[in-house]
Amino acid sequence: MIELMNNQLTFRFPEVHQKAACSIDFQRTLRIPDDNREYPLPPGLGRFPVEHVDDFANKLPDTWRSHGGVFIPMYQSEALWINFSGDYPCAVKIAAGKINAVSGETWSNGLSADPQDYAVIPEQPWLDGFNVSEDFIRQFVAMPLGEGFTAEEQITGKAEHGGLQIIVYPMKHDVYVEHFERAVEADLDYLDMPMFSRTVCESAAPDMGLAPGGLMRQEIYEDEYGIDAWDQDNGFRCFIHLANSEQYQMITGHQPPHKPATAKDYTEAGLPWFDYYDDSKALAGSDTLGKLTSVAAKVIEKGKGLLPDNEPVHPKTVKIISKGNVVRDGEF
Amino acid sequence: MTFGEYIREHREALKSEDRRFSVRQVAQRIGVEPAYLSKIERGDVAPPSEAKIRALAEELGEDPDVLLAMAGKVSSDLQEIIRKRPQLFADLIRQLKSAPDHALLRIARDVRDGDW
Repeated sequence: MIELMNNQLTFRFPEVHQKAACSIDFQRTLRIPDDNREYPLPPGLGRFPVEHVDDFANKLPDTWRSHGGVFIPMYQSEALWINFSGDYPCAVKIAAGKINAVSGETWSNGLSADPQDYAVIPEQPWLDGFNVSEDFIRQFVAMPLGEGFTAEEQITGKAEHGGLQIIVYPMKHDVYVEHFERAVEADLDYLDMPMFSRTVCESAAPDMGLAPGGLMRQEIYEDEYGIDAWDQDNGFRCFIHLANSEQYQMITGHQPPHKPATAKDYTEAGLPWFDYYDDSKALAGSDTLGKLTSVAAKVIEKGKGLLPDNEPVHPKTVKIISKGNVVRDGEF
Repeated sequence: MTFGEYIREHREALKSEDRRFSVRQVAQRIGVEPAYLSKIERGDVAPPSEAKIRALAEELGEDPDVLLAMAGKVSSDLQEIIRKRPQLFADLIRQLKSAPDHALLRIARDVRDGDW
C-alpha cells in the first residue's frame, strides 16, 4: 500500500518482507539557470504539500479522478527534485507525462534492463531531472501543458498526461535475505517498524507537466543487483498531478508555499549548493531525452524573449556530500 | 437488533416502495426458499452462509462486511489475511480496539491508484 503522511508517500510491501518500504517526497528548490552551463545540486527548500485527489474529487478534472493518486502545487517554471529514503532496496521507475525520466521511453509497467529505465534506492538518493547524458540531468521544471515545453509534448506531440508517475518494486524477499540478513533474522514487529525517514504561476491552466530546464551534474546509478532482483509481482504505483499554485488554492483553500528564491538571490546570499560523490557506475544518458529543447531555448524559439530570472550564477559555497551524509537542506 | 430483524426491517423498507422486495422475490433472487428466508428473518434459524449473506447485501444495497459481522461471521478474505500473520493482526486489532474512527481511517487509508 501507499500511505501519505507528512507530505511524504510511503510505499510498503509487508507481503514481500516486513522491512520492505521506501518513502518519496517532492522537494521545493531553486530553478538553476538554463544556460547550458553545468551547475551543482541546488538545495532542498522543504517538501511540497501533497493532497489526496479523492479529498477534492468534486473540484478536480475527471481525468484526475480517474487517475487517482495525489496532487501538489507548483508555480509555472518552478523546479522540484524527488527525494528517496529507505534502507530496503527498491527499484523506482519515474516518468513525467508518462515519459520515462531515465530512458526517455513511453510509460509501461514493469522494469527494463536494456536500457535500464529505473533507479535503485537507497543507492540513488534523489532525482532532479531528465537523464540527458552520462553524469548530467536537465532539471525538472513545471510548465503548463499545451504550450509545447514539456518532455511529453516534445516527444509525443501531445499534451495528454502531465504530472509525474512513479512505480516502486521492492527487492525480492530471497534476494534481500541473501544480501543483507543471511546471518541474523531480525526481530520484527510491524507496529515498531521505523518510517525510514532520512535527514537526508502565472498560467491559468489547471494541469502542469515537467519540462527540461538547466543542466546539472547528477549521476543515475547502474543497478548493481540486476533486474531479476526486483519483485515485479508486488509493485505499487502513484500518479502525482501537478496543479498550478493558484488553482491549488482555489481547489483546496490552502495557501501554496511561497515562490522559491531565485538562484541569483540564493547564491548572492552565500548559501550552499551541493555536490554528491559516489563511485558507483553511472548510466548513459537517453538519446531521446538528450535531444529535448530546454525551457529557456524553447522560450527563445517561440519568440517570447528571454526566460525571466535566468542569469548565470557562480556558486561559491559548494558542500560536498556523500553516502551516509545526504543532507541537502537549504534555508532562505 | 439481530441479524434477522435487521434484514427484515431493511427489506420491508424497500418493499414499501417496490414490490420486488417481497420475501418470495428476494429469496428467489438470492437462490433460497422463501420459507427459509422467512425463518432467517424471524430468527428461527441461524444466519445463512457467507455467500448467501453477500447475495443479500448486494440485493438490499447493504455493506457485506456489516451484515457478516451481524451474523457473527468474518469474511473469508479477512480470515485469509489474518491466517497469514495471525499474531501480528491479532495484536494490531487489540491495540486499535479503542482508537477513535478518525485514527483508524488514517491507518486504513492508502493512496488510491486509478486508471492511467
